[in-house]
Amino acid sequence: MEKVLLRNIGVPDSHTLAAYKSRGGYGSWQKVVQSMKPEQLIEEVKASGLRGRGGAGFPTGMKWSFVPKDNPKPKYVVCNADESEPGTFKDRLLIEQDPHAVVEGTLISAFAIGSHTAFIYIRGEMVFGAKRLEQAVAEASQAGLIGKNIFGSGYDLDLIVHRGAGAYICGEETGLLSSLEGGRGWPKVKPPFPATHGLFGCPTVVNNVETLATLPWIIERGAAAYSAMGTEKSKGTKLFSVSGHIARPGVYEVEMGYPFKKFLEEDCGGVPDGRKLKGVIPGGGSMPVLLPDEIDKVYLDYESVQAAGSLLGSGGVIVMDETTCMVRAALNLSRFFAHESCGQCSPCREGCHWMEKLLHRIEYGQGEQGDLDLILNVAGNIAGNTICPFGDAAAWPPGAFIRKFRGEFEAHVAEKRCTVGH
Amino acid sequence: MDPVKITIDGKEVVTTKGKTVIQAAAEAGVAIPHYCYHPKLSIAGNCRMCMVEIEKMPKLQIACNTQVAEGMSVLTQSPKVVAVRKAVLEFLLINHPVDCPICDQAGECQLQNYYMEHDREASRLEVGKIHDRKKTIFGPNVVFDGERCIKCTRCVRFCQEITKTNELAVINRGDHSTISLFDDAVLDNPLSANVVDICPVGALTDRDFRFKVRVWYLDKTPSICPGCSTGCNISVEAYQNKIARFKPRQNEAVNSHWICDEGRYSFHDLAGGERLTTPMIRQEGGLVPVSWEGALQAVVNGLRGSQPLAGILSGRNTNEEAYLFAKLLRQLASYCSMEVFYRERPLTDVQKILMSPDRSPNFRGARDMGVSSSGGFAGLMQELAGNNFSSAFIVGEDLLGANGDSDKVRSALQKLSFLVVQDTKLTETAKLAHVVLPAAHFGEKEGTYTNRQGRVQKLNAAVICPEGARQDSEIFLDLLEGAGQKLDYSNPSDIFAALSREVIAYNGLNYDSIGDQGCELGSGGGAAS
Repeated sequence: MEKVLLRNIGVPDSHTLAAYKSRGGYGSWQKVVQSMKPEQLIEEVKASGLRGRGGAGFPTGMKWSFVPKDNPKPKYVVCNADESEPGTFKDRLLIEQDPHAVVEGTLISAFAIGSHTAFIYIRGEMVFGAKRLEQAVAEASQAGLIGKNIFGSGYDLDLIVHRGAGAYICGEETGLLSSLEGGRGWPKVKPPFPATHGLFGCPTVVNNVETLATLPWIIERGAAAYSAMGTEKSKGTKLFSVSGHIARPGVYEVEMGYPFKKFLEEDCGGVPDGRKLKGVIPGGGSMPVLLPDEIDKVYLDYESVQAAGSLLGSGGVIVMDETTCMVRAALNLSRFFAHESCGQCSPCREGCHWMEKLLHRIEYGQGEQGDLDLILNVAGNIAGNTICPFGDAAAWPPGAFIRKFRGEFEAHVAEKRCTVGH
Repeated sequence: MDPVKITIDGKEVVTTKGKTVIQAAAEAGVAIPHYCYHPKLSIAGNCRMCMVEIEKMPKLQIACNTQVAEGMSVLTQSPKVVAVRKAVLEFLLINHPVDCPICDQAGECQLQNYYMEHDREASRLEVGKIHDRKKTIFGPNVVFDGERCIKCTRCVRFCQEITKTNELAVINRGDHSTISLFDDAVLDNPLSANVVDICPVGALTDRDFRFKVRVWYLDKTPSICPGCSTGCNISVEAYQNKIARFKPRQNEAVNSHWICDEGRYSFHDLAGGERLTTPMIRQEGGLVPVSWEGALQAVVNGLRGSQPLAGILSGRNTNEEAYLFAKLLRQLASYCSMEVFYRERPLTDVQKILMSPDRSPNFRGARDMGVSSSGGFAGLMQELAGNNFSSAFIVGEDLLGANGDSDKVRSALQKLSFLVVQDTKLTETAKLAHVVLPAAHFGEKEGTYTNRQGRVQKLNAAVICPEGARQDSEIFLDLLEGAGQKLDYSNPSDIFAALSREVIAYNGLNYDSIGDQGCELGSGGGAAS
């Protein structure tokens, strides 16, 4: 398989403009600005079948097409580089090693919707990545790729790198916009949607780093080349960040539809030290865990993972072997979500910490009969009832862990201790 | 205003485009429970209490942020909706102290009310509540209890959107989220105590009122704020014949849902303090008690005998009282000049949201009734200070208060050959009088005020005036009779009927149809007609 996203990774000085240009970098940007109309560009990306890589998998071209053309307000594009989903570190690799691909993709997205100001909102903790992006933007500006009258076309575009202050919720697109506006990182009540009322109330598109970094390749090689890869509904390639009990953790680029089991065992080297696989979270910490026999039939594309009862999400694959206490794993995730809940709406604000406290007492030998059903009930009362998808993200993991490892949870309650050796 | 037809719980409702489901339901008499939604604030959508089921939508939707659409079918009582309300209430209560017996909000708390209507379950939380700051002073009038707060952000939005003073914010995250003042900020804007009114729970309480009365003992009387000529609609809430608090009463033509802090607490000065309960007359050595009969006779004789006469009426006197006062003065003295007390002070932009520059809620109405002169109140005071009058009748105002050149006024009053002061308290002005008549205050009387905009609004008696004091209208009627003009009417409604025949701008107005929302001059009647 030809690499789309990782093609520049490993090239010496891959983060520099010189190295990027030597490999054809910004050729797509030039082509777009000099020879394409925004509508053409949108059609091309629609035809490629590219879907948003932030987790929801929404078709990118379609997202662009929702931006009204006759709106007199300024339009904005924001690159969502607030990667913070547990187990996910794919965007970070692109940001640090191939920042110009991220920049070029952001510029292309801005051109598609007629924006003259674009932002890269980067997670506060990624200091190195932010520096790399700032350097890349400075280099590209110096080279006339960003700024006034780009390639003599009369098209102006500014790109601003903005560092977040360290909140998971600012990866949610409207939470990100609130933060970028200078406010508290609180997701906005929808409708209206960002396409019409986004940043500062203006039409806005928020695209994920990986999504944007795919665009230069699609423009260079054509939509058909991209859509030739992958499955019927999940086109192209996708990055997976693999961590946990796995022989070769790291970031992998895989063609959509690749067998999950083969990927784990052959590409990633399987579970080390002869231990057995116990469960895998396929799409980042908020996605339901899958059992070993469930992944046998799963392929790495949106539809197949969903059919198995989870979601492809961000592609953050967390592998857990037989030594893992699933109560502790659920508690760990629950603690994360209780800590990161923004506190805006009642079910998530009050429910996340409640679930964490219940899981905590089960793990530490104080669980009561009924706690498991109570957690499932609280999770059910959060999911679907909140302002943003965080509620679902926080509710799904405990629910899935309890349903799939019920015996282990019950043993913790019955024996009043952790039964997996902690 | 395009009509939109929707059904709510199977009942067809016609509403208008742009309305939200919660608004359309309220118009149709269906109350959808809510905390964060407030009709005058932006949509926050955070409490999740107003979720309803809408046909063809997979998830429940918040009624406060869902616009009506033709053919939309809304369910507000379906099993899914009932279940989610219960769930939301449980979430709001798990970290709430449920200390209702010692909470000042008890009895007017939406957590209590909705719990009774929608939940009634025991707590399933056994793992310890989150603790937060208790009795935290936010400002001179407002105190905050973080544990009772449900983070609906109404108070934050009020300070952002209505006063634009931005004192409050949400800080911290998750279930440690709490409301806080910004560093160095104090919640002391001129409308600050409204946050207490809009707080649906016991998180923000009124420092002046709290712990004085359990709210279910309050007698509530719709009335008009005596603070200034904006004429904000209020509820005067009394306990054991004492005013305990003012609350705003919604009137979109006047004050919407709000009142200012100055007006809210104005009853302390106006209704508090030691009351006059017996008429007094000046004799050698000072003021001595006298019978009402003797006092009234002395007033008629005294004022008749020393002209020119100056009449000064309080801006808190009603139209009915002003009408009688004007009649009385004209009857007593052929050479007289009268005015309504009126003084302005500068206002800040935030004060201007509601407040008028005066402190005379009925100056416009009283002048309509004929209590007016060509030079206005300032002109009359100048004449008075210039010793142009021989006698004066001053009602309900202390001219020797803190502002103005009181030395000049004092010496002028001292030079008068006859001074009558009719008031509720023995003011500095009253101490100079030859006759003092004990009267009733704004909260003890019924009648009408005409606000600055020309809206006639009704005042109602919330408490009973002390024995020995009398209503201003009664006093004027008796004096009129003593002066040879007996009128065949005495209650406010009949006086209003008389004045509405006589005063052109009030022609056609009917006392009974003024109602609780008032009516505009020139409208020919109340809202109902």
